[in-house]
Amino acid sequence: MIEFHGVTKAYENSTALRNLSFLIEKGEMVFITGPSGAGKSTMLKLMYMAERPDEGRIVINGTEIETLGDSDIPYLRRNIGVVFQDFRLLPRKTAFDNVALALRIRGMGESDIKPLVNETLKMVNLRHKTDSLPAALSGGEQQRVVIARAIVSEPAIVLADEPTGNLDPDTSSGIMRILKEINARGTTIVIATHNRELLKDTGRRILRLDGGNLLERGD
Amino acid sequence: MKGVTDRMSAPYTFKLAMDSLWKEKWINLLSALTIATGLLLMAVALSVLYNIQIATRKLPERFVITVFLKEGLTEEKIRDAVSGIKANPKVKSAKYISKDAAMKELKALMKDSDYILEGLDENPLPASVEVGINKEAVSEPSVRAFSDELRAIEGIEDVSYGEKLLSSIQAIKSGAEGIGALVIIILSAGITFVCYSTVKILFYRKKDEIETLQLLGATKGFIRAPFVLEGGLIGLAGGLAALSGIAGLKYLISIKLASLVPVLQSFAYPSAVAVYLPVAGLFVGLLGALIAIGRLRF
Repeated sequence: MIEFHGVTKAYENSTALRNLSFLIEKGEMVFITGPSGAGKSTMLKLMYMAERPDEGRIVINGTEIETLGDSDIPYLRRNIGVVFQDFRLLPRKTAFDNVALALRIRGMGESDIKPLVNETLKMVNLRHKTDSLPAALSGGEQQRVVIARAIVSEPAIVLADEPTGNLDPDTSSGIMRILKEINARGTTIVIATHNRELLKDTGRRILRLDGGNLLERGD
Repeated sequence: MKGVTDRMSAPYTFKLAMDSLWKEKWINLLSALTIATGLLLMAVALSVLYNIQIATRKLPERFVITVFLKEGLTEEKIRDAVSGIKANPKVKSAKYISKDAAMKELKALMKDSDYILEGLDENPLPASVEVGINKEAVSEPSVRAFSDELRAIEGIEDVSYGEKLLSSIQAIKSGAEGIGALVIIILSAGITFVCYSTVKILFYRKKDEIETLQLLGATKGFIRAPFVLEGGLIGLAGGLAALSGIAGLKYLISIKLASLVPVLQSFAYPSAVAVYLPVAGLFVGLLGALIAIGRLRF
């Protein structure tokens, strides 16, 4: 489902990732961990093509992403739901509209959108906050709106960048429960986190990064 | 996924454009008013040009060349000269005016001052022919060439056609056309630039939102469409405001000012220009937005 072959990514002053190779199978739930600046977010950005690798090959869902032109990228992204570290919710749109955005950009009709969005908001326990603006929601609620937006279009892959960052333990476990539920439906999930509590007794594969090097593949 | 296609949702694009128009209402209002002013000035320039066109179009119908005949010509020679004039294909009409008829006309013109003419021993006025020419031939070079042709006819002393007046009118006409075209080009470019700048500003103000849309899988077409629509709607609003402005201006000129300045009573209003103002606004709005969106890298 996700393949990295000798991937290197460097920025102006530092190398974020060095010669990374790994494979994530379809339906897997994988954690990427490591200290801040280890390259976790860069790895996710490469997966949803917010960045391009300097060296190596990346294959997502059978597509060699190097072969994709700029106009093909939106279609790749539509198969990937992303839970952004900084949420990226549109401040002037309600929770409903923020979630519906993922479907509207695909050209789906409003009559199809409404039941899907309501069902997804119900799944993340936010059915009662449909008309709330992001500013009126707590951090945990905003995070759940972001998760709802990432999964509403039923993508094959969900990438979550620090999904429990700055959340209390109870809210964090609630978020993890939702992600596990989504995974149980067959969605491939990649979670980047530096929260060690999340990694305890997960029974899932963990990829450890440090200084852009993959220290442990967990397979 | 069921129901998911690659088509654009037109109602949603329209909603996004309308939301943005309302959210950024002050900058949009300012742009629409600037466009309206530009279009209004353009309409005024076109109206002035239109009136110059009407005035100069009537000129050929009234244009007459006076051909003076030599003194002492026999009736037969006069007939030959008039026939020679009429034979020219450019001639529309030729009216012979004898020496006596010319004097009678002069006396009628002078009315109460005709005693001035009483001291004359003999009639000093020459016999002449008033020649009307086809309107296609009424241009300075053509009339000059035609005069030379007339001078070559036997019995003709001189030809007079108000050379300076004709060339002055031609110069005013082409000068006004040139200035009018320049004004229209400059104003069109200005209006397009206003739309271009507005859309660019709106785009940069939504940069974060656009980045999010891209990361969610929005195509460039999906992102661009509301901006293009917004540019068009701002232009259309400017055009409609200009239409109201020109209606107000017409009322002011024809009702209020015409009584004070009588020449304004004959001012013609090209109604087609007014009707096309909203269309022109929409067009330059779309054009400006398309240029802005085309130049943006995202």
